[in-house]
Amino acid sequence: MIHARGGTQAGRDYRQGLRERAPGCENRRAGSSPSRTFMPADTHPDVAVEFRDVCYRLDHGATLLHHLNLAVRRGELLVLLGRSGSGKTTSLKLINRLLEPSSGQVMVEGRASTHWDPIQLRRKIGYAIQEVGLFPHFSVERNIGLVPALQGWPRQRIQERVRELLQLVGLEPQIAARRPRELSGGQRQRVGVARALAADPPILLMDEPFGALDALTRAELQREFLALQRRLGKTTVFVTHDLREALLLGSRIALLEAGRLLATYTPNQFLHAKEPLAAAYVAAFHTGNSPQGGA
Amino acid sequence: MKRALTAAVLGLALLAGCGPSRQNVVVVGSKNFPEQLILGELIAQQVEARSHLKVERRFYLAGTYICQQAMLAGRIDVYPEYTGTALTAILKEPPLKDSAAVYGKVKQQYEQRFHFAVLPSFGFNDTFAIEIRGDDARRLHLSTISQAAQYTPQWRAGFGYEFMERPDGYKGLVAAYGLKFAKPPLIMDLGLLDRALVNKQIDLAAGNSTDGLIPVLGLAILQDDKHYFPPYYAVTIARDETLARHPEVRVALAQLAGKVTDDDMRSLNYAVDGQHRSVTDVVREFRHQKRLD
Amino acid sequence: MSLWQFFAQNRAEVLQLTLEHLWMVGLSMAIAVAIGVPVGIWLTRRQVAEKPVLGVANVIQTIPSLALFGFLLPAPWIGARAERIAVLALVLYALLPVIRNTYVGIMGVDRAVVEAGRGMGMTGRQLLLQVELPLALSVIIAGVRVATVISVGLATIAAAIGAGGLGEFIFRGLAMVNNVVILAGAVPAAILALLADFGLGLLEKHLRPA
Repeated sequence: MIHARGGTQAGRDYRQGLRERAPGCENRRAGSSPSRTFMPADTHPDVAVEFRDVCYRLDHGATLLHHLNLAVRRGELLVLLGRSGSGKTTSLKLINRLLEPSSGQVMVEGRASTHWDPIQLRRKIGYAIQEVGLFPHFSVERNIGLVPALQGWPRQRIQERVRELLQLVGLEPQIAARRPRELSGGQRQRVGVARALAADPPILLMDEPFGALDALTRAELQREFLALQRRLGKTTVFVTHDLREALLLGSRIALLEAGRLLATYTPNQFLHAKEPLAAAYVAAFHTGNSPQGGA
Repeated sequence: MKRALTAAVLGLALLAGCGPSRQNVVVVGSKNFPEQLILGELIAQQVEARSHLKVERRFYLAGTYICQQAMLAGRIDVYPEYTGTALTAILKEPPLKDSAAVYGKVKQQYEQRFHFAVLPSFGFNDTFAIEIRGDDARRLHLSTISQAAQYTPQWRAGFGYEFMERPDGYKGLVAAYGLKFAKPPLIMDLGLLDRALVNKQIDLAAGNSTDGLIPVLGLAILQDDKHYFPPYYAVTIARDETLARHPEVRVALAQLAGKVTDDDMRSLNYAVDGQHRSVTDVVREFRHQKRLD
Repeated sequence: MSLWQFFAQNRAEVLQLTLEHLWMVGLSMAIAVAIGVPVGIWLTRRQVAEKPVLGVANVIQTIPSLALFGFLLPAPWIGARAERIAVLALVLYALLPVIRNTYVGIMGVDRAVVEAGRGMGMTGRQLLLQVELPLALSVIIAGVRVATVISVGLATIAAAIGAGGLGEFIFRGLAMVNNVVILAGAVPAAILALLADFGLGLLEKHLRPA
């Protein structure tokens, strides 16, 4: 788990206030009550996740996010697009509180991330990463059923759910008994997606999930995931550095650069954007195609 | 797999928990020099002859501390010890001159502190003997340690490890007689002291008064005229628990009281150490000779 | 007399000393694991402590065993009984391999697996028990294996201070200048070490995640 660098251990009491930060990011004294700025009426019922003036700074290092303001609407697939170091993975991890903001608030379902019990928060959010991170000593079934098992679902229910999910992600039911090492990269990532969906969380976080796959498999999974997301209507925040993927999947694209949000676009808007970085992206990816329907 | 592992661990635990049955076995220990082996064998044969008990021998234990530990742990039940050693090395009391007082104190303290019984003495006193070559003794007309004190500045001395460290050993001797030596003493294994003396590597050694080789090698014992060395009467130490469980052991060993004189011990030692005869045979012969069998 | 004859004639004593030996090693390894594994786990949570803790364990290992026995002799309670000294010394010597391998084993677990687990809402305890320990188990057992083999060897020296065990044959044989007796202690001790090494090696292999 990556907190600010300095080796602070997992499980830090979320009730502890935020530390003082250097100028550049809004100062916030430790111990001041965050609830001062927390007003439930503030949050639009349609907004699942909201970044309110969020800064993130490492302990003795750079500022990774500068005053991020961004709202994720319920049911949409928001793509965070940017280069390495643009802050997109950092932003993602602020949502499920793997990281905590240095200042500002990350509202999830109307409550600041720091006001949630981190464990409960994370179990309500599906999380899929590029390396997948399947437990090698668990079967596929046990991997997928991880959060349900943590929630105490009865075994029967978990088994049914796993069967359901395998079908959903296009895998054969026999795969349930296999170990991750017996699967191909594409199969593993499908399992990763299934795992993220297992407890039927309202929000999905995906961090370049298809990045490590070959082009054909990647395209296949992108198409399938898009269909899946539309069908299930899950609010999804999807991180990528690949414009094609962004254009294909996103209902909106948030362009990040050096820790700042440059702008948000619909795919169509992006293609015609005047913003130099957006234009550079378009040029780099040579896309003249329409955003939906194939690379 | 998990089941096999649990079974293996349990099995091992069970094995370690119950050793071979110690019901009718008496374990006799001894230290690792010939006199102790002889006494240990004497005890063992006596118990074997006079009871239906099986005796296990655990000899060659490397010293007083080790024997004491073995007794405390119950790994041995009986072993031969010396009253003076028990007093100073185990009980850590200051040395006493009177042999009856030493015996009494040791008997009482051993019972109180360890629940060990101190049985009546074998009869001989194996105290430290300050030895010099017979030639030197005759030439310089030396018969006591005090007399030798004037010559020690020209001599090299040799002692065993225990003697150097024990409170009733080297330090006390030097203080009592005001001895000065040319060089610091050579420290070596007890068994090598006699030879070193004969070969003139050393001129004075602290050996045992019952050493069998003394007459044979032409060594002379200097009298302890200041009575520095405390008495070291050989006794049998036995665990109370063992004697309670097997009273016949006490009866059997009672027969050994006073049966071994200083001279007896010297000849026994010589037979084993000098003539290299087996301890078992020598002891059997001795018991026959003393009508103990 | 040949070694076989000695074993045949002294079955009871060989068994007795072997059991004493096993008891010393078994008890000290159990304590070392009970202390060492939690400490190793703790080190992965407080990595700043890694250097000092492993440093201390390392220093303990460099102390010659006989010297360590000697240091412990005057200690209250521990020094009163040779078995206590022996077990304590064996525990101290077993700590470094166990702590270090626990630490390395857990740190060696794929970071992506840990991150995925944490991201999905596993508590620290759940991660430790369900993910990190099972995946680190093979490496931890390797550490236990090394420590056990060392202990079997060191336990032979414990006889020098009167703690019993197979070393007693060795020292007796030295005093008697009798090779058969020496071997009667050395051979079973070597066999015990080999068996421990082999057995734990099998376990380690079995637990290794492919």
